[in-house]
Amino acid sequence: MKVVIIGGGWSGVAAAITAKKAGAEVALYEKTDMLLGLGNVGGIMRNNGRFTATEEMIALGAGDLFALTDKNSRHKNIDFPGHKNAWLYDVNKIEPEVKRYLENLGIELNLEVRVVDVKKELNKIKGIILSNGTLVTGDVFVETTGSTGPMGNCLRYGNGCSMCVLRCPAYGPRVSLSSRAGVDDLQGEREDDVFGAFSGSCKLSKDTLSGEIVKQLEETGVVVLKVPEEDINLDKLKTKVCQQYALKEFAENIVLLDTGHAKLMTTYYPLEKLRKIKGMENVKYIDPYAGGKGNSVRYLSVAPRSDDMKVKGLDNLFVGGEKSGLFVGHTEAILTGSLAGHNAVRVYLGIPPLILPKTLAVGDIIAYANEMIKTKQGRRDRYTFAGASYFKRMLELSLYTTDVAEIKSRVEKVNLKDIMSQKLI
Amino acid sequence: MCSQLSGKHFCDCINWKGVCIYQEYIWNGNKAKEERKNYLYPIIKKEEVEKDIILITVAVSHKMASNLIEPGSFVFMRNPKCMQYYDAPISIMESNTEENSIKVAIELKGSKTRSINVLNVGEKILIRGPYFNGVLGLKNVKNAKKGNSLVIIRGIGQAPALPILKKLNANENKITVIMDNTPFEKLLISDEMLKYGSTMINCKMIERGKLTAEFKDIITKKIEELEPNLVHIAGPDLLSYEVLNQVADNLPVSCCNNGRMCCGEGICGSCTVKTNDHKLRRLCKLQTDPRFILKGRRKL
Repeated sequence: MKVVIIGGGWSGVAAAITAKKAGAEVALYEKTDMLLGLGNVGGIMRNNGRFTATEEMIALGAGDLFALTDKNSRHKNIDFPGHKNAWLYDVNKIEPEVKRYLENLGIELNLEVRVVDVKKELNKIKGIILSNGTLVTGDVFVETTGSTGPMGNCLRYGNGCSMCVLRCPAYGPRVSLSSRAGVDDLQGEREDDVFGAFSGSCKLSKDTLSGEIVKQLEETGVVVLKVPEEDINLDKLKTKVCQQYALKEFAENIVLLDTGHAKLMTTYYPLEKLRKIKGMENVKYIDPYAGGKGNSVRYLSVAPRSDDMKVKGLDNLFVGGEKSGLFVGHTEAILTGSLAGHNAVRVYLGIPPLILPKTLAVGDIIAYANEMIKTKQGRRDRYTFAGASYFKRMLELSLYTTDVAEIKSRVEKVNLKDIMSQKLI
Repeated sequence: MCSQLSGKHFCDCINWKGVCIYQEYIWNGNKAKEERKNYLYPIIKKEEVEKDIILITVAVSHKMASNLIEPGSFVFMRNPKCMQYYDAPISIMESNTEENSIKVAIELKGSKTRSINVLNVGEKILIRGPYFNGVLGLKNVKNAKKGNSLVIIRGIGQAPALPILKKLNANENKITVIMDNTPFEKLLISDEMLKYGSTMINCKMIERGKLTAEFKDIITKKIEELEPNLVHIAGPDLLSYEVLNQVADNLPVSCCNNGRMCCGEGICGSCTVKTNDHKLRRLCKLQTDPRFILKGRRKL
């Protein structure tokens, strides 16, 4: 039985692992030369409610990738404005390690291969069509192509291509396969009827920061610098994807995190203004290269799906990551991808798909995000364990805890311990 | 086609060619790029090969010559005294970027080509270009490397076939040409064929609208023997269509784009074909596998 995964970001990688562990033959297609997509410029794990979700996933048997991010963490248990117990993985080390992990599992990796269309018969996907016209067939398909870009979207809904790590001009544009299969995409909004949202952070070259800032970053993981009074722009917060970081503190201060590069916690920031800040007189952007002008635009391509991650209206297409809802973050991508990969095998075998219970944060967020995308306000919200409205909900429903033993017992109580590492075939 | 420029609101970029044309449009101040211009260039050589077939060499700018170097390039030519309806689409036979000239072969057939024939060496001719879509399946031509290539040429197809032979030779292919010189007596490209190391088989290809038994036999044998990386057909659509029916569906093919080019800009509609998916497509802009157009064409 063959599962074909399209998109090699955190979500696609997670889907590949769970599908493989369930016993399928797995082929993954990624248009760039690296796995992890925006995970190559991310880094923040376990902050706030993500801690609970991470431990739930480990107990559910889908902890492989968390073990790798934990192992490659530069800083553990740090706090920054609005966020507690964050772990920061090293973006310069994580990708090759994940790639080797997948190769060792025997997953077929096809890099620099772009998928542009699907072949469909009735409600079933027969195969995917590569940009060179080749047809690749499979039994079940998992689309984790994300919702970012391509250039035309970043131009229409943002400030143009800012040359982010996805490198569309070099590797070609993302194509929404669910939409190619005839299922219309949903979109996130940032204001009334303004579609999409900007990616929430940039990477600065550490070499261009003052010795003092670098020293503090490497010792503590965080540096907070005051923004000059005249440059504070509260309006910009609402354009942001990552609503958990859209706090007043992030407008009044420059927040830097050490993820290997210096992660600047703002969508984009004019270089000239950034250079007015003490210690940043020589600063340069690493991602996006044009971070002074804009950032990638996201949430323009969400497929309608059920809580088992299957696309509505198609029999054998599953989705994960941003493609599956207005989720933010690696943890959320790994969660949705893992479930999609696992259920891909279940559906093929005719076993009822796994739907995670709402007594777990990981089950609740999938159901909640799906419910909310139907509403106008819901399309303006983003769903993450790390903050904004969903973390509030976690607190209200007492889903949030950092007690690992408690999390394990919650998973055991619903008889789901290690469910996603079970071999089904 | 760009989904956003076609009036949709999101990217659905399945025919990406390496640049975002929506971005080009926006950066150009929300205006389409300028259309190609007319240029007056002097004729520097004119030969009458035989009755009703002439070769013309025109001195052009270096930019024009370099733009017309790839297979499939063509221009519109016209006698400057005539109105624009006389624009004749003419394939480039050879573009010389050292001497900055282009050579074309013109079969004198109707009022457009005959009005060009009135011009002599030293006089100026009106040229609009460059245009690039004179060959369907260009991707297959470019991908054919270090193998055997089979090129089928009939009549005036020799002219646009020459840049194909040049390309195939540059990509280290061994070329076999099957040639039917009808309706001409003399070959137009015999010297060049030698230059590009091709072996040639002469054969009559079409009789009463069908392929001859001899030609069918040669194709079958040659394909078996050579295992070609490309079959290129430079002739009328009927020939391309019949040959496509003879060869396996997975064999890379290319052929002349015989669409009736008029504006060349994707506007006027004279080159449209209706394919089996019920869509009207403009051959002056559509680059695709020949099978899609020839086998997928709606007959009515």
